[in-house]
Amino acid sequence: MTADRILTTHVGALQRPPEAEAALVGEGPEEALRDAVARVVRRQAEAGIDVVDDGEFGKSIWQKYVTERLEGIEQRRHERLPLRGRDQSRFPEFYAYAQQTPDVLFHGSDRAFWAAITAHPVCVGPLRYRPGAVDRDIANLKAALEGLDVVDAFMPVVAPASAEVDLGNEHYETQEELLFALADALREEYRAILDAGFQLQVDDAWIPALWNQEPDLDLESYRRFCQTRIEALNHALEGLPPDRIRYHLCWGSWHGPHATDIPLSEIVDLMLQVNAGVYSIEAANVRHEHEYHLWEDVRLPDGKKLAPGVVTHSTNLIEHPELVAERIVRFAERVGRENVIASTDCGFGSRIHPELGWAKLEALAEGARLATKRLWG
Amino acid sequence: MTTRILTTHAGSLIRPPELLELLARTEAGEPVDDARYEDVLRRAVVDVVRRQAEAGIDVVDDGEMGKATWITYLYERVSGIEERMVPVEGATILPPSRDRQAFPEFYAEHDAAFAKEIANQARVHETEQPGEIRAEAKIWACTGPIVYDEAALRRDIANFKAALEGVEVTDAFLPVVAPASVYWLRNEHYATDEEFVFAVADALRHEYRGIVDAGFLVQVDDAVLVHEYDSILSLGGSVEDYRRWAELRVEALNHALEGLPEDRVRYHVCHGSWHGPHVYDPPLADVIDLVLKVKARFYSIEQANARHEHEWRLWEDVKLPVGKVLIPGVVTHHTTVVEHPELVADRLVRLAKLVGPEAVMGGTDCGFAQGAFIRRVHPSIQWAKLEALAEGARIATKRLAGATVAA
Repeated sequence: MTADRILTTHVGALQRPPEAEAALVGEGPEEALRDAVARVVRRQAEAGIDVVDDGEFGKSIWQKYVTERLEGIEQRRHERLPLRGRDQSRFPEFYAYAQQTPDVLFHGSDRAFWAAITAHPVCVGPLRYRPGAVDRDIANLKAALEGLDVVDAFMPVVAPASAEVDLGNEHYETQEELLFALADALREEYRAILDAGFQLQVDDAWIPALWNQEPDLDLESYRRFCQTRIEALNHALEGLPPDRIRYHLCWGSWHGPHATDIPLSEIVDLMLQVNAGVYSIEAANVRHEHEYHLWEDVRLPDGKKLAPGVVTHSTNLIEHPELVAERIVRFAERVGRENVIASTDCGFGSRIHPELGWAKLEALAEGARLATKRLWG
Repeated sequence: MTTRILTTHAGSLIRPPELLELLARTEAGEPVDDARYEDVLRRAVVDVVRRQAEAGIDVVDDGEMGKATWITYLYERVSGIEERMVPVEGATILPPSRDRQAFPEFYAEHDAAFAKEIANQARVHETEQPGEIRAEAKIWACTGPIVYDEAALRRDIANFKAALEGVEVTDAFLPVVAPASVYWLRNEHYATDEEFVFAVADALRHEYRGIVDAGFLVQVDDAVLVHEYDSILSLGGSVEDYRRWAELRVEALNHALEGLPEDRVRYHVCHGSWHGPHVYDPPLADVIDLVLKVKARFYSIEQANARHEHEWRLWEDVKLPVGKVLIPGVVTHHTTVVEHPELVADRLVRLAKLVGPEAVMGGTDCGFAQGAFIRRVHPSIQWAKLEALAEGARIATKRLAGATVAA
């Protein structure tokens, strides 16, 4: 898709309203979910978002929802584990405080979200995808789009590497077997979404975040670990059209210092191996904003696009549209104006107050209009 | 000669637990041994000065350890003022604003969380009517002539001097409040607003001079000068109303600064440090003439947050007078994420290219603890941000030196 302007989108998760939450936890009618999707799609269009989604209202949480859609999984619970990792080791007092204090790392009390956070899915048999929930989500999004003027629509899904995190294995011989079985199962979901005519966005925050989570890995072994996961994802994507696929990387959206995040420069080659047409990356928060410079040295392959975050959930302040425009223009100057889609750092759901989320999407759209004027004259 | 980009910050830093415990007891009306308080305070200043030097901050302060808040400390240091609780709508001490009107649900949530921090300044009571609540907040009233008592200032200066001994820094400053920023203070004594504002300025004059005479830079904090713009407009006032209000106060500030060497004066403005959307903050362009009127050499302004980061470009159009120095925020209290030093360097370099490297010093958007019981980030993040600031300034210095050689 080419346009003579900067298009806007976002990363996917939006703040689920209470009635949709009730439907998702089985305490309200399914129609409430459908109505909530209709409203959130309309609201995105009104905010000036060109490529919209269903807000992920049909999913408990982006990386674990799929375990609720698979045969061969037993849902167990574990206590909320103490956070561990490089950032946690460097800022032990902050993380201790953050875990005891509500609304520091997260925002909101969505029950579907919190139940999934403390869930511990374990693979106890062969993995098989059950399409019921994705069919419902597709139908809800299709219905919501009727009569609406948007450029395109997407649906987020989890990547095998991110679904694998915190997934116990009591069935497959090796971790790699589990990983590729996950890829095979996920492929069913990917295909269903593409067949429905939507863009597919594959979320893989755990690729960068694993550097934090696994402090014992050195760079080489971490990259080797990721390489296998990228191969599993490409296996899942085989034969699917790259120009309909977006790949989202981020460093984990929790409100922490992120001072030990791995630089994008160390993993950009892995990212570009993914058979996708659009790469969605963080670029609007203070740890990663400077990384637009990377594209002075790294060439974005022909036919690929970047969807950098130009507004972020990591601050309550609403980005000034002039700042949004400046960020977009910086990318456009490096990779070409036709290859930039203005987006968010990560999802807003469970990270920021809904009023702020909408104001940020409006600032994003306004900033894209300003950038278009500057870039197309 | 290459110019090194120096670093500083906006002033208030998070108080240590030992000091907070004593302050909390005082607030609760429990007896606190004066000698013990003085000792804990003195040690807090020693620690905070050393820690700033270790973090790589060149121009340090006492972290405002001896002050209740950056505003209300003054009310303990002048005569003619009494405290009282008054009914308010909602348990907040934050100013009215269009921001608040546009984001009511967000602010309701924000205020509920913030109320726990500022319990000493605002309270919510349940009334006898079930479900009905009544909120009240502490205000101060000027009921007699304002006269400055230097005792607390002398203590702060002595503590700061002692703390600086043997610590290697470039310079040192102490923050003070500006006449415009004496918030929550009602005039019930002076005949006119102007008389009242100038009486405040006369009192502050002693404080400003005392600090400069002690050999320190004085930093005049004036967030209210800027955030009153949104407040006045939210209450139905006009921009002209705001300008009239602000111009009188800038004049009073210059009166308070009269006779002081400009190169020992820093002036800090910001848009209010609360973590709100800040959509209705006035553009810096609309108030910069007021700011530059103040007889200071250093101007400290926000430039590290999502609402004001783009304003570095203002200096493409506005000429910074010769000899003046900008202290842009290049790290902010508005996000928990710690700034990457490369971002800090980017922010410093682009401004240095507009106004000259000698006219730029790396700073913070605002303080990290506007009051003893308020903290805008966790202490460990405050220090990580100051370290990132110092690291970014080193990178910027190198880049600017490289640019000079290349030219």
